[in-house]
Amino acid sequence: MKRPMRMLALAGITASALALAGCAGSPSTSSNNGSGKTTLTITTWDYADTPEFKALFTAFEKANPDITIQPVDVPTAADYEAKITTMLAGGDSTDIITVKNLTDYSGYVAKQQLVNLDDVEKAAPSDKLAGLDSYQYKGDYFALPYRTDFTVLFYNKDLFQKAGLAAPDNLTWDQFAQDAAKLTSGSGANKVYGAYVHTWNSLVQGISAVQNGKDLTDPSDYSYLTDQYNMMLKLQKAGDIPNYGEATAQKLAYQTEFETGKAAMVPMGTWLIAPLLADKAKGVSVPNWGIAQLPQITAGQPIVTDGGPTGFGINKNAKDVAAAKKFIAFAASEQGAEAVASIGIVPSYQSDTITQKYFGLAGMPQDDLSKKAFAPDSVKPDIPVNPNAAAVNTVLSQEHQLIMTGSKSVSAGIKEMESLVKSQALSQ
Amino acid sequence: MTTTVAHVESGRAERAPARGRVQRRRATLIGWSFILPNFLGFALFTLVPVIAALGLSFMSWDAYNPPKWVGLHNFIRLSQDPMFWAALENTVLYAVGHVPLTLALSLGLALVLNRKLRGIEFFRVAIFFPYISSLVAIAIVWNLLFDPTSGPVNVLLTHLGVHNPPGWTSSTTWALPAVIITSVWKDMGYYMILFLAGLQAIPGELYEAASVDGASAWHKFWNVTVPGLRPTTFFVLVILTVSSFKVFDLIFVMTEGGPGRATLVLSQLIYQDGILNGQFGYSSAISLVLFVMVLLITLFQYRLQNRRQD
Repeated sequence: MKRPMRMLALAGITASALALAGCAGSPSTSSNNGSGKTTLTITTWDYADTPEFKALFTAFEKANPDITIQPVDVPTAADYEAKITTMLAGGDSTDIITVKNLTDYSGYVAKQQLVNLDDVEKAAPSDKLAGLDSYQYKGDYFALPYRTDFTVLFYNKDLFQKAGLAAPDNLTWDQFAQDAAKLTSGSGANKVYGAYVHTWNSLVQGISAVQNGKDLTDPSDYSYLTDQYNMMLKLQKAGDIPNYGEATAQKLAYQTEFETGKAAMVPMGTWLIAPLLADKAKGVSVPNWGIAQLPQITAGQPIVTDGGPTGFGINKNAKDVAAAKKFIAFAASEQGAEAVASIGIVPSYQSDTITQKYFGLAGMPQDDLSKKAFAPDSVKPDIPVNPNAAAVNTVLSQEHQLIMTGSKSVSAGIKEMESLVKSQALSQ
Repeated sequence: MTTTVAHVESGRAERAPARGRVQRRRATLIGWSFILPNFLGFALFTLVPVIAALGLSFMSWDAYNPPKWVGLHNFIRLSQDPMFWAALENTVLYAVGHVPLTLALSLGLALVLNRKLRGIEFFRVAIFFPYISSLVAIAIVWNLLFDPTSGPVNVLLTHLGVHNPPGWTSSTTWALPAVIITSVWKDMGYYMILFLAGLQAIPGELYEAASVDGASAWHKFWNVTVPGLRPTTFFVLVILTVSSFKVFDLIFVMTEGGPGRATLVLSQLIYQDGILNGQFGYSSAISLVLFVMVLLITLFQYRLQNRRQD
């Protein structure tokens, strides 16, 4: 009787000790590992399949041999924001937080989780950094961009030729709809859609807001969205773009729709370029493609498109702020831009040299239209930095689904957006 | 387990009072040491967070800066939040659809499969299979089956003469039924196993006696099977209700609460307001409401069960 009891007590203590040890076992990052080398930690998502991080880190380490970068990876890109929220709440001391999008940035700024970077911004080539303005919050900067994506019109050159259409140079939305109708052909498994508009609300609401010069976080009047919705619904009804309900049920992927020639035009962010180049290099069959400017409301106006930066900010609990600032300045510089552009990512830093380098990549289209489309006149965020950005986007996205699936009329949906965004924003 | 040990020990205690007390304490300690590892895990990862959430529901907290006491503000906001009311309605509708359907189907399957037939195990495993399959795979495959134009469900319905088949996951009216059908299909195997165990615990003599008395199959079911299954049915009902109110994963993968708010349930709202929008105080308030609701319903079921037994 005695022996088993002692054994049990021992087992209990061991088990609880193990459990506690497991809790306390968070890795400690030392910023100096003795040999005079500094280690800088940076959060990343899906490091193995997001080559821009490695390209940037390697280039930085080469330029700064005394600093080693250690990525802190979140394997699933979709879980990135939730994981970072948890990490920061737990007092994590990773030096640099990669800012995936502006909605996340709004959250970090509202919670005051990032270090002020006004000094780095002043020293950076600010006039050449596309998307930098989006990071300005009440006159301050808490992150600097290294890549800036914006929406362009991807198009399949062969399908355009087959339909006898001219390249979609500087279209209006009306012309876009006409072209889409002419490009649609076949049925069943052979159906080719004139265009594929992915299920995101930003592709209707965001584009419409920036082209009308409006701010989606302002719920006073959303009626400017009406025209864009009417056009999309008309295209959907005519079968010129895939039905929204099918696209969500089948979880259609925009890259596949474009690569397999199922859709002739795809309005999408410039992030689609890199995977197209990569697939071509891997031997996956990729159609003969080009990019054109995003269609506009009226002809002959400056090209306005939506887009936003991806950047780096410094954690308030960072171990080594000086080294972190050095890295952020590097990522926003021409050197950083070269590293990023070399793998087909659009860097924030813009110059003729960078554009030339970018179009020198294997597989890039060489026509003038694609080069023209690469330099829009104005890139604006679809939802500007605002503490309520995430909550507002939730409502807007729900109403988008209701309108696109025909569950609500355009005017009823817009009315509900106004009242719900108002109530969500007020209650914070 | 603890109680049986303690019971045996207390039997000895009558003979030697002093020695008995020591032994009883030892027995208690053994009991504690058995549940200690489990209890520690429970306390650390469930009890502490639950109590913290209770406190947080009266505060405003972004998970980073110190929480601020806001009193009943979160609950007042909740009562005026159209999202909350939509989610509450959907959660109740889901439970009202999911609980009786699962209960009826799993009981029916258990009755059909409770026979000594060659190869009956195959059918039992086949019905149980969805329960152990990956939920994400199930959600995605059912999404494809429910595809409004080319999905097999609607193709079949059209062949059967339905001219305007439902839009399922792309329609606000049919999205919730689609989710309920999928979840019933997934869960019924598990509850069928519970009912099978319950059925096999009913003594065969009772059926023999009923047969001798000339009872029909229907009478036997109503007067022997149903009362014999009462403890199992009660258990299944409680577990089913609780799990229906907590549903999250299946709906999240299938529709993400859409289209619009048509399948938004309370658990998803908690996730959305807490993790995504960073309002942990408000989302704790919603979870507290969910907790109280589930607690009340379970207590009500217990009362009902006790009254029936009396």
